[in-house]
Amino acid sequence: MGFATEFTTLALQELPELSNQRKADGWRFVQLLAVNTDMGIDLIYSFMKDGLLVNSEIKGVTKDQVVPSITNNFLAAFVFENEVHDLFGVNIEGIAIDFGGNFYALAQKEPMTVISPEQKAAREKARKIAEAKAAKEKASKEGATPEQGKPQAVTSAHTADDDLEAKLAGMDPEKAAKVRAAMATKAKKEAARDGEGA
Amino acid sequence: MGKATIIPFGPQHPVLPEPLHLDLVVEDEKVIEAIPQIGFVHRGLEKLVETRDYNQFIYVAERICGICAFGHSYGYAETVERLMGVEVPERGQYLRVIWHELSRIHSHILWLGLAADAFGYESLFMHCWRLRERVLDIFEKTTGGRVIFSVVKVGGVVRDIDAAQLAEIIRVLEGIKSDYRQLMDAFLKDSSVMNRTVGVGYLSFEDATNLSMVGPFARASNVAYDVRSLGIGAYGTLSDFQPIVDTQGDCYARMKVRALEVLQSIDIIEEMIARIPAGDISVPVKGNPAEGAEAACVVEQPRGECYYYARGNGSKNLERMRMRTPTSQNLAGMVKALEGCDLADVNMIILTIDPCISCTER
Amino acid sequence: MGAFKLGKMTISGLFKEPETVQYPVQTKTPPAGLKGHVCIDVTKCILCGICQKRCPCSAINVSKQERTWSIDRFRCVQCGSCVRECPKSCLSMDPAYASCSTKKHEEVFEIPEQQKSEEVIKTDA
Repeated sequence: MGFATEFTTLALQELPELSNQRKADGWRFVQLLAVNTDMGIDLIYSFMKDGLLVNSEIKGVTKDQVVPSITNNFLAAFVFENEVHDLFGVNIEGIAIDFGGNFYALAQKEPMTVISPEQKAAREKARKIAEAKAAKEKASKEGATPEQGKPQAVTSAHTADDDLEAKLAGMDPEKAAKVRAAMATKAKKEAARDGEGA
Repeated sequence: MGKATIIPFGPQHPVLPEPLHLDLVVEDEKVIEAIPQIGFVHRGLEKLVETRDYNQFIYVAERICGICAFGHSYGYAETVERLMGVEVPERGQYLRVIWHELSRIHSHILWLGLAADAFGYESLFMHCWRLRERVLDIFEKTTGGRVIFSVVKVGGVVRDIDAAQLAEIIRVLEGIKSDYRQLMDAFLKDSSVMNRTVGVGYLSFEDATNLSMVGPFARASNVAYDVRSLGIGAYGTLSDFQPIVDTQGDCYARMKVRALEVLQSIDIIEEMIARIPAGDISVPVKGNPAEGAEAACVVEQPRGECYYYARGNGSKNLERMRMRTPTSQNLAGMVKALEGCDLADVNMIILTIDPCISCTER
Repeated sequence: MGAFKLGKMTISGLFKEPETVQYPVQTKTPPAGLKGHVCIDVTKCILCGICQKRCPCSAINVSKQERTWSIDRFRCVQCGSCVRECPKSCLSMDPAYASCSTKKHEEVFEIPEQQKSEEVIKTDA
């Protein structure tokens, strides 16, 4: 018996049907987890049978959407459904043992939906890198096709700059500014040397 | 029939090492319903993944639980390796299994001791923990820590065990085995133990499967599910692995399954040590997990199957790390097993699921 | 079935060596690989700050201006990442546990100037 994992996507309205089907086919409920994203909360339901672990993902559940409970089929899910409700604020209806938001004794409501500065920075960074990459690809596409006559060196220098920009986008702003300043002085020096040489 | 009364149980209770609160609805001496309440020790460790990079989080992961510390770092590393497509060298995998099985031995012996303490057999408790100490000494010598080992890293393990130490492990385990057989005799044949456990907290096979239970709790109800039989990592190279099951489904069966698993773990370690290949113990891991990449993995902890999930976001921090511990899966089963039991048996039944509430809340 | 199954073990325990040590009088020698506390060889340190970056609990502070390397032993979790990452291998794990203390403090080490590096090579040659 081997072990394999599978990730599938699921629509919210398909959940009760999936739960009934899994129950009928004798799958074991493994867990329910939530991920906080910009688009809402992703819910992942995992079921296992004969070493195959299937994770069904419901993307972007918002606060006003009602998620039906699966505790009618899998009572073990009550822990996780209460947890998702308490930590992520997902509105789950019909939990068999419902604590009504008192499962965890927390100082703060829905702590897992708070976006920490670190996470915000990480997301910004990922976004900037992606943007820089996209811009670079666009530029290289545009640069490659129409103007064949241009010297090769110019385009290569251009892409090197872009690479640097992509890297800088990822750094924290202070450091990036320092690197930029250093690059500028280096370029100036080189220009001066070139001038002397000529 | 008397009228129903609610008796609060825990979170501070002499028999419970863990902060679990139960509202027991009792009629005369019979429990008719139990409502669990946790949430006293939520530490937000899953949130901490945002401020620690994926290499550093391994030290957070192993602090989720003091008893299955190795299991959590192992499971976390396994998941991140799946996320990043890292292949651990064979020797590293073997070493992980050796340590993991050693921690299973120490966890089960610790639990047996606690069980003995719960039914009032103090000297048995002392002898169990005396044996456990020898396993901890092995840990101290091979990893440098007694409880928290910090020996796993993403991509392999940090320390190697040399041939002399491996031989020493075999020698110590042989010594433990002969003493342990006498302890097992006491657990499985002593009348004072059997009076407290046989027929208590019965859970049928149907209930165990319906409630999606895992670990020794499920195996005592004849559910032959053990993650180790799926062959993840070096477990796939075992010549023969059969999950230990029992058909009785009561407290005695759960104790028996755990007691026998200790011997099984010793056999696994001996086989691993006999066959351990030479070579590297880790590979360097470069780069960050890709954005939106997902991975899931399961590991058999001493208490049962533990599920790990990781999602990357392109930076060195993970977007989300999730551990679903065996106890949270078994809470529903515990509530079911408590229904209809005697009030005096409640502590015994709670103990036989081996609850680890701190794991559950993270 | 039967009672007092533990009899043999309990009685033989009377005649065996004790498993414990009489602590304040006797002490156990710690095994060689024990993770006691982090030590630094100040002559080798180049103040690169990698240990500070890798530390999962921000226990290490490296100051280039003041030429100091300091560790908060109350934050340190003995994971050993700093020891593994140090490019000059000037950090090591000492098997003795850090001693107890009545108040929290950081242990500060002064790092001497490293101009010797060439001299060392010369004298070695």
